[in-house]
Amino acid sequence: MSSLEARPQSDHGGRPLRLAVVGHTNTGKTSLLRTLTRDPSFGHIEDRPGTTRHVEGAHLLVDGAVAVELYDTPGMEDGIALLDYLDQLAPAGERIDGPERIRRFLQSPESKRRFEQEARVLRKLLECDAGLYVVDGRDPVLGKHKDELAILASCGHPLLPVLNFTRSPEKRLSAWRDALARLGLHAMVEFDTIAPALDGEAQLYDKLALLMDRHAALLRALKEDVGRQRALRRADALRLVAELLIDIAAWRLSSEPSQEALRIATQTLREKARARENACVQALLKRYNFRRQDFPSHGLPLEGERWGMDLFHPQALKDMGIHVGKGMAAGAMAGATLDVFMAGLSLGAATMLGAAAGGLWQGADKFGKRMLGRLKGYQEISVDDQVLRLLALRQLALVQALEHRGHAAQTPIELPGEFVQKGRPAAAAPLVAETPPLAKPPALKQNSDALRDARLPDELTEARSQPRWSTLSDDYENSARRKEAVSSLANKLAAMDAGTEVRPAL
Amino acid sequence: MPEASRSAIAQPPSFAAFWLAETLRLRESLWGPLEDAREVRRVRSEPLSFEQKILLRGRHLGKREGLDASIRNWSAAARLILVVLCGAALLAGAGAAVGALGDGSRQVNILLALAALLGLNTLTLAFWLMSFLVQGAGGAWLGESWLWLTRKLARGPNATLVPRALAEILGRAHALRWLLGGVSHALWAIALSAMLLAMLALLSARRYSFNWETTLLSPDVFVSLTRILGWLPAQLGFSMPTEAIVRASGSLQALPEPAQALWSGWLLGCIVVYGLLPRVLALFLCLAMTRRRLAGLRLDTSLPGYAELRDRLAPASEHAGIDAPAPADQPARKAIHAPPDQPLDQPILVGIELPPDLAWPPGPLAPGVADLGVIDGRTQRNALLDRLQQHAPERLLMVCDAQQTPDRGTTAMLAELAGFAGQAHVALLGLYQGREGRGAAWLEQLQAAGFQPQALHGEAAAALAWLAGEPRANELAGDQHVEP
Repeated sequence: MSSLEARPQSDHGGRPLRLAVVGHTNTGKTSLLRTLTRDPSFGHIEDRPGTTRHVEGAHLLVDGAVAVELYDTPGMEDGIALLDYLDQLAPAGERIDGPERIRRFLQSPESKRRFEQEARVLRKLLECDAGLYVVDGRDPVLGKHKDELAILASCGHPLLPVLNFTRSPEKRLSAWRDALARLGLHAMVEFDTIAPALDGEAQLYDKLALLMDRHAALLRALKEDVGRQRALRRADALRLVAELLIDIAAWRLSSEPSQEALRIATQTLREKARARENACVQALLKRYNFRRQDFPSHGLPLEGERWGMDLFHPQALKDMGIHVGKGMAAGAMAGATLDVFMAGLSLGAATMLGAAAGGLWQGADKFGKRMLGRLKGYQEISVDDQVLRLLALRQLALVQALEHRGHAAQTPIELPGEFVQKGRPAAAAPLVAETPPLAKPPALKQNSDALRDARLPDELTEARSQPRWSTLSDDYENSARRKEAVSSLANKLAAMDAGTEVRPAL
Repeated sequence: MPEASRSAIAQPPSFAAFWLAETLRLRESLWGPLEDAREVRRVRSEPLSFEQKILLRGRHLGKREGLDASIRNWSAAARLILVVLCGAALLAGAGAAVGALGDGSRQVNILLALAALLGLNTLTLAFWLMSFLVQGAGGAWLGESWLWLTRKLARGPNATLVPRALAEILGRAHALRWLLGGVSHALWAIALSAMLLAMLALLSARRYSFNWETTLLSPDVFVSLTRILGWLPAQLGFSMPTEAIVRASGSLQALPEPAQALWSGWLLGCIVVYGLLPRVLALFLCLAMTRRRLAGLRLDTSLPGYAELRDRLAPASEHAGIDAPAPADQPARKAIHAPPDQPLDQPILVGIELPPDLAWPPGPLAPGVADLGVIDGRTQRNALLDRLQQHAPERLLMVCDAQQTPDRGTTAMLAELAGFAGQAHVALLGLYQGREGRGAAWLEQLQAAGFQPQALHGEAAAALAWLAGEPRANELAGDQHVEP
């Protein structure tokens, strides 16, 4: 059943741009579609010929309207024989142009038999405005590729070669560039579908706009939208990380002083912290539209808890002062209301009493339990600074990996080894600051320096003294101050991360 | 979706929609995401902005989970509490008036009465005004203590979420302080109105005598105080006791009736001007600000819980289906071209579409083997076919690069070439290196094309030995044949 329905609307002047993704078999056409549509569920990908055997469409949306229709086509597999057949259909003496030759082929019997796949490709390319010719940059340039390009070019639409697998060591890019230039294809773009450059899509749309003047405005709009969405994703991701860090930094568990109780509390602390990190990872994967299995969870090498209380942390004391003050004010009002009912006869006395009671009550409500615990000799456990640092580094590394990952990638995401301690989560003391900076990838150098050695960001220091800021705690409270802390921490993370972007040399 | 709800969404979203979405967000962030595939599918098809889609999803899911009922219940309870508070304010106001004026059996100390009636009001108003000066705390402590109260009183998990969601939205829109301020000013205005009415009633129905007392201060202080306080009400037409009357009120003797009326007018004027009017003005300010802030209410789509929804609700792309089902496989088959009676010629070695950087020939050739080079492209291919047509070889070895993808065209050519020779073998260079999936694909395709497993070699040396016709090497090659 034929279901290539067009959704006919676009804000960018008329109908959407239609692009056919064509190429030799197994060069990554479906991968290109996955990466451009950011949809890992599109089509079917395998390292073998003829994986895609029909034309499958996808729409790129800008503000909900279809801007580009992309069509994934089966691979060309029999270019040489097809070119022979085309010559046979239109002998040299007959002067007909390329598209007419293709049309004649599409009506021929072989277009439904031996060249069924090729016929589908050509039929689609004739309908489209342009073709993206995907090249596996690792393949040698062969006669069949040239014949294929000759056939595709005779459809009369612009072709933009897209060099795939450009990050592979066995690539043969210069040979491809020469060969394509000899065929008259001078505009081309490098786009690795597994690990696209951050501005890869922008380059692709820019090059397309060069080829298709008429659609330049639409392509610019699309490019800008892609950039906007990327910035938005990044901001969202850093905010998720900031929330995680605040949650973990603020979280504390109170435990009886006995050895056994301490052991159990430590266990709970680690489990919950790991679960919280995992929740953040899942949210990040979801935000970047990757699948759960793309990042196998590695147990956070949690070792090192902090013992003792931050009750007398300067910020805690300041906060206590403010709270008692607020309590006093509230109490004064309560007392004064009492005065009204007593008709002002005792004006003042109740107010004073109320103020004192209010202050005590507010103070007791906030700090009483912890004070009491301290008097009873309870211990408070929280996650160590080093673990926090590691957590921040790991999440930033993950965000970076997600930003640089194409939706065609099949292998799981790997973080640099130092962030992952597979199989030994409970090892002696694998604190990140103590691991030798051996294989530190340059991309992570700067931010790791900032997070590794410098003081923890003020927001985290403050969160240490605010147990209620943690969503893990029972009396979680999203105060205005917490909101500020989260957003300013996210900004700091962005600043740390910004300097680390490595542009691949092109 | 029904027409009614579509038109409802087309309008600017209602506050209730924000509230519901926020409640849902809090719920999902606390207890994990809800199963929402059906709702998401419904929402995704709507031509709406991302923000509106979140709200619509919130509406569908909220209805399913009964959160809208929780919000309705909580709103009803909140309204009830407000009514009770209004009643309390009425009673408190009237009670204050009765308390301050007494039953007429004793003289009313005019300044103490004024302090009792207005003191607390002025104090709290001053608190409210001062809260604008404190950065960060910004009046939110009223809301915080209210939240604290709802947490202590609320029953059931959803019930705590509802007020929390309300506070979150209002706090984010910077409307919380204005709304709570509005409520408090309204209560005070009611209390003061009740106080005023009660005083009017009492002053109309009872005889009161007013005086002032002092031990420390001079009468001049009272004279100027009365004048200063009474100036503003006097501009609005309230009566002002003359200096003589003020001085006379300080003594113990009883004042004439008109003087008492003057004092009561002055007292009422002070309460209207210093109590009721500022409260009413502040109330209107709060209402206006609340309305303005709520009109600019927007969803913060970067909040955790909303951010992850973007790719699901407003995807950057959508599937558009396929053109037609995939055809059945049509593998190329080995064909026999060579006429059987023709005598077979010398063995032939040929490379098929090999990359230029690969060494050719792949090894030393035995004498008598014809090396036809690497075949790539149409002309070479046709030339080779012509030659084979004329001189069919006894043995034909075709060398391929196993790191490339075996496509239909290449397989078909291999099958065609093989048809001309007595025996045809294929050597797959680099079969065991690099991407192994490709090697497997070669083996599979060639066998489908009719090549026997022993006709496929993984190493050039063994294949060349077979080509040279060495019987021992032939056996060896047989041993080393690749497994299918």
